[in-house]
Amino acid sequence: MSGITVFRAKKILTMNPRAPVASHVAVRDGIILGAGALEDLSGWGAYDLDEGFADKVLMPGMIEGHSHSMEGSVWQDHYVGYYARRGPDGVERPALRSIEEVVAYLQRAEAEMGDSEAAIIAWGFDPIYFTGPRMTAADLDKVSTSRPVVVVHASFHIINVNSVVLSRANIDADTDVMGIMKGGDGAPNGELQGMPARFLALGAIGRDHFEEMGKKESLWRFARSAQLAGVTTATDLANALPEKTLANLKEVTGDPGYPLRIVPAFLGLSCPAAEGVAKMRDLSAQSTDKLRLGLVKLVADGSIQGFTARLKEPGYFNGSPNGLWYIDPGQIAGTLSAYHEAGFQVHIHTNGDQATETVLDAIEEVLTRTPNPDARFTLQHCQMAHEAHFARMARLGVCANLFANHLYYWGDQHYEQTMGPERAERMNAANTAARHGVPYAIHSDAPITPLAPLFTAWCAVNRKTVSGRVLGAAERISVEDALRAVTLGAAYTLKLDSELGSIETGKRADFTVLGEDPLAAGAEGLKDVPVWGTVLGGRAFPCADIPKE
Amino acid sequence: MSQEPIPLSVIGGFLGAGKTTLLNRLLQGTSGVRYAVIVNDFGDLAIDGDLAAEHGGDTLTFANGCLCCTLGDSLLTTLNDLTRRDAPPDHIVVEASGVADPRQIADMAVLHPGLRRDLSIVLVDAETILEQARDERLKETVERQAAAADLLVLNKCDLVARDRRAKVRDWAARQAPEAPLIETEHARLPLELLFARDEVKPAGPGRDTAKGHDHGALFRSRSVPMVRPLDLAALRAGLTGLPPSVLRAKGFVSLAGKPENLHLVQLVGRRLRIHAWDAGGRAPPRRELVFVGTPDMPSGEWLERALYPPVVGTGLDNSGE
Repeated sequence: MSGITVFRAKKILTMNPRAPVASHVAVRDGIILGAGALEDLSGWGAYDLDEGFADKVLMPGMIEGHSHSMEGSVWQDHYVGYYARRGPDGVERPALRSIEEVVAYLQRAEAEMGDSEAAIIAWGFDPIYFTGPRMTAADLDKVSTSRPVVVVHASFHIINVNSVVLSRANIDADTDVMGIMKGGDGAPNGELQGMPARFLALGAIGRDHFEEMGKKESLWRFARSAQLAGVTTATDLANALPEKTLANLKEVTGDPGYPLRIVPAFLGLSCPAAEGVAKMRDLSAQSTDKLRLGLVKLVADGSIQGFTARLKEPGYFNGSPNGLWYIDPGQIAGTLSAYHEAGFQVHIHTNGDQATETVLDAIEEVLTRTPNPDARFTLQHCQMAHEAHFARMARLGVCANLFANHLYYWGDQHYEQTMGPERAERMNAANTAARHGVPYAIHSDAPITPLAPLFTAWCAVNRKTVSGRVLGAAERISVEDALRAVTLGAAYTLKLDSELGSIETGKRADFTVLGEDPLAAGAEGLKDVPVWGTVLGGRAFPCADIPKE
Repeated sequence: MSQEPIPLSVIGGFLGAGKTTLLNRLLQGTSGVRYAVIVNDFGDLAIDGDLAAEHGGDTLTFANGCLCCTLGDSLLTTLNDLTRRDAPPDHIVVEASGVADPRQIADMAVLHPGLRRDLSIVLVDAETILEQARDERLKETVERQAAAADLLVLNKCDLVARDRRAKVRDWAARQAPEAPLIETEHARLPLELLFARDEVKPAGPGRDTAKGHDHGALFRSRSVPMVRPLDLAALRAGLTGLPPSVLRAKGFVSLAGKPENLHLVQLVGRRLRIHAWDAGGRAPPRRELVFVGTPDMPSGEWLERALYPPVVGTGLDNSGE
């Protein structure tokens, strides 16, 4: 039998309502024996006392309920966003506040590349914050006219390219394709919107986005990004899980030095439901404690800021036409029921209120036919759900994972362009969810926004936008509730709450190790609480050990 | 590219519009054209033991040389795989999912170096479309699909009374005013016209006359001789200005200023490509354009006049590519 370690900490926030605060936690074989005072724990037998956290605060390992393994693959490229952002090596990338700054940054990167023909790929560019002319191929030709240059927008749906890419992709003035933006002279100006132009431009320079996500080095970066944020379990929502990706996931998570539990959701639209069910049976049998297979994700509609979410009346505030379905609304119930009847939990992306309502109709139909009081269908994003939706979700046992980071990054645009004041102020309505007893989590959708649950919690607590507006004070939640949402709340949506999400006997010894008490930091200071690292299954992972790239 | 681009057609339309019926006809056809059909799901295809020669995971190979595959990791991956085969198919047909916008798939063919965009055919269930068009959940989806059509097919017309059919026609014409509209049942369409193989007919005596050809009640084809060199600008204007009843045109012409060089003309819907054609040792093809359209398509003489306008200036200044 292996030994017992008792960790002493300045303070332990347990999320266990019977004993919310402790000073010690005893761990054996990666499992918590108990939390409390030292004398409460000594009865388990001889132990080593670990005093390394004597000046630290422990809380349950935080769980990112909606992120993507792409958070790992994006960091092999240059980050050129409007906000400074820390990479998975812990080094902060600077904020770039104009097109000129982006170009200058990429020129420096180019100068360090040597003679190779390799492409320069950058990501995170968000012109929504700029006034004045949009980026063009001429801007990126200043970076290089001999190698391909690609700048991917923060939405990941638009890219800017230089002339080298246009010519390799055979895009010229005569190319008559939606989404190839043209300048006053009729020539393509280097901005490519929409899937065909984007995929073929990336294909022309040999970049396969899906392959990159599943690479081992990407999965390591994903874990380090999580570790730096104090996250011990993260979802990959979603992944078609081809063989090679699955093999890589197994290999990395099988390494005792890999600091993350991953919950990949199978992309339910990647094949017909009957095939998907067979694949899920095969996958779920391969689950391990650090690779949890068994979740399915479906996508109902698009995004609000991209005007592709499906809205009910009165539609978009600026009059944009209604958005897109990614699954035929008439087929949602059938697809849900195939997975549900086979015993698999399904999470469904719904952004617009019409999508939320349509999916709730489908869930009700499925649960009426095949009741399961613990199905825990979860609506992901669920940004426009209102009072009546949450009431209905409570009756159906449906969970919500709300996109709190949106309030900060795009709250002003929602207020002014997409939703208008009233609907913007009730977006991501955590307080309404809580009032109705709907189990909820909050998320980052990383890499869309930074993977950092303390920041996400700050967003839900303060509801402040970039401009400083408080967007819907009535939907703010307490610091305690926000911390619960990023631990037990997320664990519940993943059906992992019996083994993760709180520090109490029998659960896995996953902790977030903080330099300060987040409760003492309060609403304002929550996002700035320093993260020392994590403990995963009893093993410490200090951020300081992460190698710089 | 050493190899000619493969034509790619898109079959769009909402669930139940008849896409699968049409694809079954293609796969079971005996035209000799080796189709590769990309579907979302094998589920509804009529695949029995006799027809399917080989079943290898994502791909079914038929005894008549046709292929059927499901969408793999992505459409682009599947298209790359098909175009890079040792024996690539003659024609690729992609079934758009019930909520997909057919334009996105057609655009892939425009940009892909191994492909040529062919017709986007959108099927409409004449029996249910008016209800779908009123459903606030489906309205924009069916409208976008119809608007993406080069050819709009009102299917299941046998199930719909005459006055209702007129209402369906009105709706369709509002969504796709530029697209020819045809009515059919059981997805019956002249496949050899809509999903042709690219082939070059050698020049031969005695056929250089404008003539028509019957393809059941639905379509006409007309071969129009193009013996005299044409002015490029006038040709472009003439072809893109043809009435919606003309669905496609294809053939070879010679242009004013360089009559010795043949040019290949391909009109699909309202999209036009004209480029210099290298015979590459093959017998020179006939200079003629073959037009395909609905029965109200203009006569061969009318088409000929539309492309050889009365000479006002010389127009030769515009004859470059």
